[in-house]
Amino acid sequence: MPTQFEAQLVANRTLGGGYVVLEFSAPAGRLDGVVPGQFVMLRGAWGRELLNPRAFSVLWSEPDGRFAVMLKAYGRGTTRMVAMQPGDSMTVTGPLGRGFPPPGQGSVQLLVAGGVGLPPLHLQARVAVQAGHGRALELFYGGRNRDDLVLLDDFERWGIAVQCATEDGSVGARGFVTVPLRERLLQARRDGARVEVLSCGPTPMLRAVRALALELDVTAWLCLEEEMACGFGVCLGCAVPVHGERPYRYCCTDGPVFEARQVRW
Amino acid sequence: MSAPPRTAALPRERVDLRCGFGPLTLPHPILAASGCFAYGQQFADFMDLRRLAGLSTKGISPKPRFGNPLPRICETASGMINSIGLENVGAEAFLRDKLPYLSAAGLSVWVNFFGEDFDGYVECARLLDAGRGHGIDVLEMNISCPNIKKGGIEFGTVPEVAHRLTKACVAATSLPIVVKLTPNVSDVVAMAQAVAEAGAAGVSLINTITAMAIDVRTRRPRIATTYGGLSGPAIKPVALRMVHQVHRALPQLPICGMGGILSGEDALEFIMAGASCVQVGTANFARPDASLRVLDELHALMAELGIATVAEVVGCVQPIEPETPWNPAAASAPDAEAGKR
Repeated sequence: MPTQFEAQLVANRTLGGGYVVLEFSAPAGRLDGVVPGQFVMLRGAWGRELLNPRAFSVLWSEPDGRFAVMLKAYGRGTTRMVAMQPGDSMTVTGPLGRGFPPPGQGSVQLLVAGGVGLPPLHLQARVAVQAGHGRALELFYGGRNRDDLVLLDDFERWGIAVQCATEDGSVGARGFVTVPLRERLLQARRDGARVEVLSCGPTPMLRAVRALALELDVTAWLCLEEEMACGFGVCLGCAVPVHGERPYRYCCTDGPVFEARQVRW
Repeated sequence: MSAPPRTAALPRERVDLRCGFGPLTLPHPILAASGCFAYGQQFADFMDLRRLAGLSTKGISPKPRFGNPLPRICETASGMINSIGLENVGAEAFLRDKLPYLSAAGLSVWVNFFGEDFDGYVECARLLDAGRGHGIDVLEMNISCPNIKKGGIEFGTVPEVAHRLTKACVAATSLPIVVKLTPNVSDVVAMAQAVAEAGAAGVSLINTITAMAIDVRTRRPRIATTYGGLSGPAIKPVALRMVHQVHRALPQLPICGMGGILSGEDALEFIMAGASCVQVGTANFARPDASLRVLDELHALMAELGIATVAEVVGCVQPIEPETPWNPAAASAPDAEAGKR
């Protein structure tokens, strides 16, 4: 059940490429059992200038209340957040939304990440490894250059196969992450292996992943990002266009994870 | 300038927060605003709903509506623009699926409603009348949503049209009708007068201000419908001015004030301008327990300022005293005059 609580920044860890991991302490148990892809709404002491909290996927959480998110300075909120100092506090609402399907259900999960979309897939891998399903995952990680690929050492430590793609070719394949992903999906088809795609990243990347999944008839789960004011189904700002009986669903309560075929892109 | 009234602080328990709004008696003046509190349930995870005086529901139409394309919202300086498009479950589903929960929570339920045309408004008022005795206290008639073509803004900008519509809806229900007015007019007093004369039990002031934001990188508006409604602290000074104007012109007309209330002090400003109660809107997005914080702060502030009841400060704001007339011929004030000061 989501609750609202205060959290204190414990560490502001710079990863390079402008990415930071913010680690918070908070009352125990608040984010227990968080499902990868679920998110929290965070708001600092921003006065009256910046009103709305910001949505972040949980990177990790511990039973003692500690948790972390990963971000990059992008707008007015994230710019303030990357400058936060240990001891600074934020108001948290969460955990919110519906996350990815669990690993180990018979399919190999291909995690496809881009930029700040890594955290829910990083958590999916962490949870899978803890549950002994580490071999049922592979990571496909795309970025503009070497600096966009962060936290790779965790995947190495967990023994998860990683294929990278960078637009400048500095690491892995040159081009978009869909290049190695296509090869992998074709190989799975040849082998008759069951795979599903779990993806989070910039919308253009998610659109390309969706198109590829539809083309090759593979189930894909997309963790979407939409402008949100509340995060818990009240403002109705984060509409996602979908097929089906209703034209829109909500990123915050129906998602943020949606099946690719359902999304009306 | 005159000195502020000096009143000794009161202990909190001596502050009586109860207030009247037309025929209603509320335990305190803080309600949640339409469109910012859905149908209430979502907030039960974060706060004790029963501590609120009441809420105004998401706007209800005779039939369900799906809402506008995205993007629907964008944050702006000290506020946000929205164009949700009056998405709602429709009157029938509201009465069946949403009202029982609210009624059980013991809140004063104000059902915000609208129609896509004149007859749609009247039909909606008639349908919602079935909720009388089942928890609905007030029908808040929304003639001010800027976000759908037939969302009522034309009903909210021409006094004669607003008068006719209010009269028809008042006749369609025995519930009190409070009309929510738009700030997008040059003379809000004329609008308030028109609906008051048609039998409105009060007015809600204000809805959002029509607004726009542009993404210079894509050269597109930040809202799919190009224009949306601005809310949040950015609009509070406009809202206060309108509450004050209407209260001064129509002191007997109950006003529910809203527009960017984030704190107890904001709420007290609205009350002093002439509002009998207030609604907290956009602040609920910033933190779900925002309305209760406003309530606690209002309570503490009234105690600090020695205000024993809400009624004693409704519309209490006085004009600033005129200055001493300028006398270009006098080099300085005569001693006698100076001595008086």
